Amino acid sequence: MSANGQIIPSSLSISDLPWQIRWNQDKCTLCGSCTAVCPVNAIELGVFRKREITAGLGLAEKPASSQTIRYGIRQRTSPAYACVGCAMCSMVCPNDAILPERNDGGDKLRFHINQGGQPRSRGGRRNDPAGLLDQIKFIRISMLTDPALDAGRHTFELNTLLGRVLEPRDALKHQREHGWMPPVREIYPLVIGGMSFGALSPPMWEGLQMGVAYLNEELGMPVRMCTGEGGCPPRLLRSRFLKYVILQIASGYFGWDEIIHAIPEMKEDPCAIEIKYGQGAKPGDGGLLMWHKVNKLIAAIRGVPERVSLPSPPTHQTQYSIEESVAKMIQSMSMAWGFRVPVYPKISATSTTLAVLNNLTRNPYAAGLAIDGEDGGTGAAYNVSMNHMGHPIASSLRDAYLNLVKVGKQNEIPLFAGGGVGKNGNLAANAAALIMLGASGIQTGKYIMQAAAGCLGSEQDRCNICNIGLCPKGIASQDPRIFRRLDAEKVAERVVDLYLAFDMELRKILAPLGRSTSLPIGMSDALGINDFHAAERLGIRYVV
Amino acid sequence: MQKTKTLIIEGKDSDGIRIESRLLEEHVQEAVEAGIRSLEILAAGQHGIGGRLWKASETVRIRVKGTPGQRLGSLGYPNTEIEVMGPASEDTGWLNAGASILIHGNAGNGTCNGMAQGRVWVAGSVGSRSMTMTKRNPRFAPPELWVLGSAGDFFGEFMAGGRAVICGWQPQNPDNILGHRPLVGMVGGQVFFRGPMAGFSQADARMAVIEEEDWLWLKKGLSEFLLKIKKPELYDKLAIREDWQCLVARSPMEKREVARRSMADFRKGIWDGELGKGGLIGDLSDLDMSPLPLITTGEMRRFIPVWENRKFKAPCEGTCPTGIPVQQRWQLIRDGRMDEAVNMALSYTPFPATVCGYLCPNPCMGACTRGSALMAPVDVRPLGRASIAAILPVFPALSGKKIAVIGGGPAGISVAWQLRAKGHEVVVLDQSKELGGKMRSVIPESRIPKEVLDKELERAASVLPHIHIKQPLTRKDVERLRADHDYVILATGASRPRLLPVEGGERQISSLEFLEKAKADAIRPGKNVVIIGAGNVGCDVATEAKRLGAESILLIDIQKPAAFGVERDEAEKAGAVFRWPCFTRAFTKKGVLLEDGELIPADTIVTAIGDAPVLDFLPESVLVEKGRVMVNEYGQTTDPRIFAIGDMVGQGLITDAIGAGRKAAQAICDMAAGRLPEMDSRDILKLERVHLEYFDPRVPAKEELGGCGSQCASCGSCRDCGICVAVCPRGAIARKEEKAGGFAYEVDANRCIACGFCAGACPCGVWDLHPAVPLA
Repeated sequence: MSANGQIIPSSLSISDLPWQIRWNQDKCTLCGSCTAVCPVNAIELGVFRKREITAGLGLAEKPASSQTIRYGIRQRTSPAYACVGCAMCSMVCPNDAILPERNDGGDKLRFHINQGGQPRSRGGRRNDPAGLLDQIKFIRISMLTDPALDAGRHTFELNTLLGRVLEPRDALKHQREHGWMPPVREIYPLVIGGMSFGALSPPMWEGLQMGVAYLNEELGMPVRMCTGEGGCPPRLLRSRFLKYVILQIASGYFGWDEIIHAIPEMKEDPCAIEIKYGQGAKPGDGGLLMWHKVNKLIAAIRGVPERVSLPSPPTHQTQYSIEESVAKMIQSMSMAWGFRVPVYPKISATSTTLAVLNNLTRNPYAAGLAIDGEDGGTGAAYNVSMNHMGHPIASSLRDAYLNLVKVGKQNEIPLFAGGGVGKNGNLAANAAALIMLGASGIQTGKYIMQAAAGCLGSEQDRCNICNIGLCPKGIASQDPRIFRRLDAEKVAERVVDLYLAFDMELRKILAPLGRSTSLPIGMSDALGINDFHAAERLGIRYVV
Repeated sequence: MQKTKTLIIEGKDSDGIRIESRLLEEHVQEAVEAGIRSLEILAAGQHGIGGRLWKASETVRIRVKGTPGQRLGSLGYPNTEIEVMGPASEDTGWLNAGASILIHGNAGNGTCNGMAQGRVWVAGSVGSRSMTMTKRNPRFAPPELWVLGSAGDFFGEFMAGGRAVICGWQPQNPDNILGHRPLVGMVGGQVFFRGPMAGFSQADARMAVIEEEDWLWLKKGLSEFLLKIKKPELYDKLAIREDWQCLVARSPMEKREVARRSMADFRKGIWDGELGKGGLIGDLSDLDMSPLPLITTGEMRRFIPVWENRKFKAPCEGTCPTGIPVQQRWQLIRDGRMDEAVNMALSYTPFPATVCGYLCPNPCMGACTRGSALMAPVDVRPLGRASIAAILPVFPALSGKKIAVIGGGPAGISVAWQLRAKGHEVVVLDQSKELGGKMRSVIPESRIPKEVLDKELERAASVLPHIHIKQPLTRKDVERLRADHDYVILATGASRPRLLPVEGGERQISSLEFLEKAKADAIRPGKNVVIIGAGNVGCDVATEAKRLGAESILLIDIQKPAAFGVERDEAEKAGAVFRWPCFTRAFTKKGVLLEDGELIPADTIVTAIGDAPVLDFLPESVLVEKGRVMVNEYGQTTDPRIFAIGDMVGQGLITDAIGAGRKAAQAICDMAAGRLPEMDSRDILKLERVHLEYFDPRVPAKEELGGCGSQCASCGSCRDCGICVAVCPRGAIARKEEKAGGFAYEVDANRCIACGFCAGACPCGVWDLHPAVPLA
């Protein structure tokens, strides 16, 4: 725009933008890499007129004015091209001449991002750096009171159970009277949460699955990954790797015909079936795969036309009550695999979590409950849903667990918790805190994206363009020009790295507690927090 | 007591009660202090028997019968030799600093834990966590543990020195003589073993070859061990070199090697092996999935630079109702092709000098990109005036299509001119003797020099047949013309002046009538002239009134005067005064009476509130709505063979009328050729694509043609400056001469990285980046 152009209400200057490009003329070689790589075309070559005025001392000579033309990197200021702070420009710059910096003056873009009456939607996260999980400490240290364990040399039984674990008397009765026992899986307690094939690029998804297969087959860690709602590639369905996969069914029912066709040809049963009722980070918003990402491949796997936006309705269309939802869906899904596969619902954490849980306790086919809190999140959604909807995981999980304790079923229905686990990098500590609050296992997505594939997002609204297919790391794009930046093999290696590191960190937490024979599910006497009200609410110790 | 005698120390008192470990320790220490060098202890579970005997410098021998307690020989001293006649409890040889300990049975958990020197022989097996945390001090011989049987779980954890020998003779678990997870954290020492084992900490230890020196040591030690435990007969069974294996600690450098299968290997062998070639989606897509760098070329670019020369209209061209590509004329001037620049005008307008040079308010200049940076627009008027010298093109032979144009004003002449230029036969019918319409009859000579107008009208008349019709046109006339011609074009203008319907209305004279008479010098307006309607026509009236002797000239209007530009300037120069709002009640002998009672004296009252078209001759097939002929974008009426253009459709600038003529002519040419009419649908180039930074804002407006040409930014038209070639960081852009003449800039896709620098630097806004076509 001309520097002296007419302004409109949404005319912004660089100082109004959330991210500002710092460009160093002295270092720049004008190689074009930064403008070529910028995912949102926020920078361009600028033409600058440089004027110099010369005047001799004492005005002995006639003052003169001369002008030259210079070229440099210029930041665009239109809301449509606002820098997202991904810093790919810095990544490719051979001379470190360019860098986006966060505007600490409060940006004005937020007031103008709703051009055309469309509220902002984005990919990614809640963008709230604070979090209760990081405040929880493990205060019970084995000082001669518990077995002295060494995370490095002792063996730890860290696996957990997914499935309805009946108490022996009930189990025998069940077997005798019904000839059937609920299926139970022994799995690693850190599950890769549902991120669909479609939301994620082919190399990302394949890399995750490959890493999971490696962990299982090379390292003996029974790690499981949920497909998210986007179907499952036919080859995976017919491979032995399917046993490492939790198939998700959600309100969009994408890809389920492929799964049904594959059932007779399956070598292995899937680990479990997750019925998704909500996503904690964006409750009520449903899934949303933007048309940018629905290419031929994705359309084929999902069974939809190419280049259309695919909203999953926020609710399942044919279910009208908790009782019906739970009973009907669990029955249908159990039946599909001859009642050999655990089936459990996943809900957004909500003030009504207990209502769902109470229904599950009465249903012998319910294999567990996954509760997804408001933090974290990897999906595309409206800003307002991500920022203002949802329930924190800690208290929702705690209420659910204590309720199970009250009815004596705390070892019977496993609770899986997710939502912001590891959002500040403290994956094992957050996971252990949730386990001790009552979770049998943890679901995580965003940490995986960041650690396994180098997602650039932060809790400061950096990048967050996963929804429009421009992911600069190739994680959440369906454009081969972009996703081929990502190498599935390298993703798989990172998955293995992060699981091994997580495993060691988890043991480093459990060893001083003196727990090695089983996961300390619900061992809340080990937890403390320096927030009195949080301590009261969670029923853990207040420590200062 | 004599040193050679063996002292027996009871672990129980005379009542058969076990004495405390503290008392037993006191007895032992006292005995040694007293010179006793041989002791027999009848142990009853006492702790730490035989350790810490540093008070003696000679060898002290201790034989233990009964049941020793934990930590036998702990903190053992090099002078001490302990022999336990049965099994030993936990932590035998704990922190042993040199004692020799012989156990004739099994030893419990933690045997040799933390041992740094000394030797421990066990005739049975050892419990879990034996030989753990052992040390090695270079000043002393390394510690040794000899076990005939097997080791318990977690053997050798954090072992930092010494040698352990596990003979595997009658082991507790025949399948695994080293127990569960041995050697975690091992950093030094050697473990020799004989028999099967179920793995060890690969991260910390590795198998090693038994060197000759080791073997000699092992054989010698084995022989001694078997003699001590009184099983020399086993020597031949055990001393078989190939039965032995050795584990040593990995060095820190070796530990860095991850003993994991490579992911590449896993992918190739296991992953693709199970799923098939191409992995997860190898069956669904044949896309190349190999990794790409961040900066790509060719088909892998996300954007493609496109040289969009003349794809968009320059703002001047796009806002000129006639549609003259002014920027291209300036390019010709910059190229020194002045004649072509001048002649080019005639393909767009028959009146380049009259209109562009004098009468037009030049919307092109108003829209000039330079204005956005407060720079003077390129002045088109000198170019317009120079076009008086434009040479008439050679018109093609007639096509056979016949077209009648009714009305010889700017619109009529324009359409006839364009049609003739395309080879169609046209005839212009007009009620005037000469062509020119209001340009000739109404517009004051102060605005347009007569010789300029005459020259351009003559130029038009020289190629356009003209029929002078002498009576008002009727519907029958038009219908007859329609029957005789392929198309009829109505361009009769707005010739019926609007007058104010107030009392004394007969005292007003219309601006049309006034200007016609004035131009013929056939009116004397008197001293006071009041003009109702302060638009540009009113201004022309004012200027003419002044020329004809008026002294006081007042323009009144009910709203803010609409007059602008040259007309208004001239009127103000003539001393005309503008007043508004003024509401007229009546015209009287004395002048204009306003609603508020004021009387403005007037000798002549001229009403300049617009003219209306005369439409009473229209055939029924031509529909009228709200006093206007209904036409489409190119002037076609509801009768497809009748067009209506110019002021009769809606009053506008002369250039509007000329432009309407061009469009109608284009449509008729298309239709005559059997095509659907197609108008120039190019958009105007976006302002931000042009870079005015290349121009000096301090330079005042130029007047001569060369200067004007140099200031034109050539919006949307390549000026062939070559900046793109220079700025491209990859050297991907080249200029190509085209066979048919002209040039083009081309991109080498295999060099281009789509940085967009060409678009960023292009002064004319010709380059643009287009998103690449999506891949599958």
